[in-house]
Amino acid sequence: MSNFLRLQSSRLASRCYSTQQPVKASIKLVAELRKLTEVSLSKAREALSATNNDLDAALKWLERDLVTTGAKKAAKVQGRSTTQGLISVSMLSSGVGVKTGSGYGGVRAAMIELNCETDFVGRNELFGRLAADIAHTAAFISDATGSSAALQPCSPELLQDAPLLSRADPGAAPTGTVAAAIRDAIAKLGENITLRRAASVVENSPQQADLGLRLSSYVHGTIEDPSQGRIGSLALLALKFKKLPELIASEAFREDLGRLERGLARQITGFETYSIKGEGEEALYNQPFMMFGHEFSDISVRDALTIWSRKKGQTSQVLTEEGVAVLDFAKWTVGEQIAEDTSPAA
Amino acid sequence: MLSLVTCKAASRGLAPSRRFLLGALHGSLRQPFPSTPASLIARRGYAEQFSRSKPHMNIGTIGHVDHGKTTLTAAITKVLSESGGARFTDYSQIDKAPEEKARGITINSSHVEYESANRHYGHIDCPGHADYIKNMITGAAQMDGAIIVVSATDGQMPQTREHLLLARQVGVSKLVVFINKVDQVNDPEMLELVDMEMRDLLSQYKFDGENTPIIMGSALAALEGRDPETGAKKIQELIQACDDWLELPPRDFDQPFLLSIEDSFSISGRGTVVTGRVERGTANKGAEVEIIGLGSKMKTTLIGIEMFRRELDKAQAGDNMGALLRGIKREQIRRGQIIAAPGTIKSVKKMQAQVYVLTKDEGKIVRGRSSPFMANYRPQLFIRTADVNVGLTWPEGVADAHERMIMPGDNVELVCTLTHDVAAEVGTRFTLREGHKTIGTGIVTKILEEA
Repeated sequence: MSNFLRLQSSRLASRCYSTQQPVKASIKLVAELRKLTEVSLSKAREALSATNNDLDAALKWLERDLVTTGAKKAAKVQGRSTTQGLISVSMLSSGVGVKTGSGYGGVRAAMIELNCETDFVGRNELFGRLAADIAHTAAFISDATGSSAALQPCSPELLQDAPLLSRADPGAAPTGTVAAAIRDAIAKLGENITLRRAASVVENSPQQADLGLRLSSYVHGTIEDPSQGRIGSLALLALKFKKLPELIASEAFREDLGRLERGLARQITGFETYSIKGEGEEALYNQPFMMFGHEFSDISVRDALTIWSRKKGQTSQVLTEEGVAVLDFAKWTVGEQIAEDTSPAA
Repeated sequence: MLSLVTCKAASRGLAPSRRFLLGALHGSLRQPFPSTPASLIARRGYAEQFSRSKPHMNIGTIGHVDHGKTTLTAAITKVLSESGGARFTDYSQIDKAPEEKARGITINSSHVEYESANRHYGHIDCPGHADYIKNMITGAAQMDGAIIVVSATDGQMPQTREHLLLARQVGVSKLVVFINKVDQVNDPEMLELVDMEMRDLLSQYKFDGENTPIIMGSALAALEGRDPETGAKKIQELIQACDDWLELPPRDFDQPFLLSIEDSFSISGRGTVVTGRVERGTANKGAEVEIIGLGSKMKTTLIGIEMFRRELDKAQAGDNMGALLRGIKREQIRRGQIIAAPGTIKSVKKMQAQVYVLTKDEGKIVRGRSSPFMANYRPQLFIRTADVNVGLTWPEGVADAHERMIMPGDNVELVCTLTHDVAAEVGTRFTLREGHKTIGTGIVTKILEEA
């Protein structure tokens, strides 16, 4: 009797479960569909049963269905707190001396924070790829502001509506918006995923020959991909040297400059840095430059930049006229509380 | 005879509370034996009592947030409470993962305990990867096995890979899989597919996919006391599978003898006595032992064992003892060396370790660093009673090793090059200090160079 009841109830459940015609999904195809798309078992089965066990049709069905079920799932998990995730940086052009990328000598980059619920998902490849693609998209679509050279916040809402570009395959035609990609990821990973913030910096090459812009970034707590992790920073630097075209053509100079840039980015990331100039140790220029080799570890970033610039410029002029300066930076930590004003006061 | 029985009963009755007490004392639930003199007497008289008490092991649940880990944990306590093996812990009581401090390090994890017919289990559940890693490094509740929870409706998810990788990383070599929510899937073939996919994935991550027990049931049914066929009965099967499949960690008693030397004295007319705590194993008077570490490797004989000014025939894990050594001069002994059963542990110059770097807010006193460091940082390394200088570098194959930072709050795999060799093996824990600050704690994962 009890057996019979259970049978009945399970039959009832099955009726509620699949609303389509009762074509039985082939197990082999379900397995294959899962390997191809990483959708949940029940979804894979529903797709095949709705498309009469036609794999290609099922793939299309899933694509269409993801929009509705993804939205449903997203609505279900909405409001769950997302404190984990990744900071992802996309650097398309790091400035003067770079002959590749968009805009000769200009800078173009973006940084985003994509959140999820657990660091298990945060470490997952699928999530990492999504974060990288969103950062890539943000860097790609941002425009030069024309105002003072600085990092600009991008509205996550606007970014959500942008078509998602693939970092791995930049030429590929986008298949959907950023929002749709996030929704798909929610459907596959089953966790709430939110795009919390984004910032970009896009500047054309300055007109004067003795001026150059450079970008530097350091991401800490990376898993596989060095451009995304737990803490990320992006810094915009200015170079001013009389002989800049000459200097930048030299490989030795570019190497030394790269070392300095990475040291600065590490310094910003590693220490509690809230501004460039100003009072106290929270201002970058006042900090002992501990992340740039032993010779500079006891002197301040400000002095280190002066010494470095003098050596490179082979002049004794002061920093305001010649040298390297940090114009702006952003430093983000996954899940941190965001203060009202995140841009460092110069 | 009568007194003997009551004594036995008392000793058995005390066992769980002792275990708990010890957990609190040593920060590890593993130590089953107390070292207080009163219990020592009890133990000496009725040693068989302990061999009959249930062995302890720690297991954890790992799985996706919606797959029912907490429901399963609650269901286990409910089902086992019916046979007196647990106190029923409600869903709402478990689902908290309170912040706790082990060795000054903040870990989020929830604990429950229960007993099967054969074992006592400590069950932990952490919200994230980083918490499990911290747990392993500090040894707060070292996981000896794990239950992977997967919902039958979803099947394994992309992040199931991360769950298995984690299990590998924290040293769990055997798992039990619980496929939950089977009452929501009406097609037995689908369940077969979940089973098959799971076995594939297990093998892919070097677990024994073929033989790993996979139990299919409904934790909710068990919790609500309905459908015993998919509910309570499956929970019992799961526990049975844990009993049968997951291996008990070796007990401290069964391991080879090891005493860490704290101090040494010269006693005229008798010779050199060293004092220290027996970390594991047992040794009889007259046993051959080895003194190793800090540049030495000497064979000698344990000609006397003393505790509380009384002579003993046997030393065992937990004892704070004095050992009289044959033909050894006091000058040959230094704090930080160890006495061990010959050939059971090596002295190490270079090793790889998983290290957690404390944040500046962790710990009671001022601890932790506020600033990052880079390769070739040289703090002090404390391992048992030894205190040596260490150079920290990245393991081979790490990209940009010379430009990589290590920041407070990081879990990192590092190579430790010691200035003096100390006895260590895979699983040995240590702390890193700079001046009077504890800046990190670690566990040895690989021996790279022996002394």
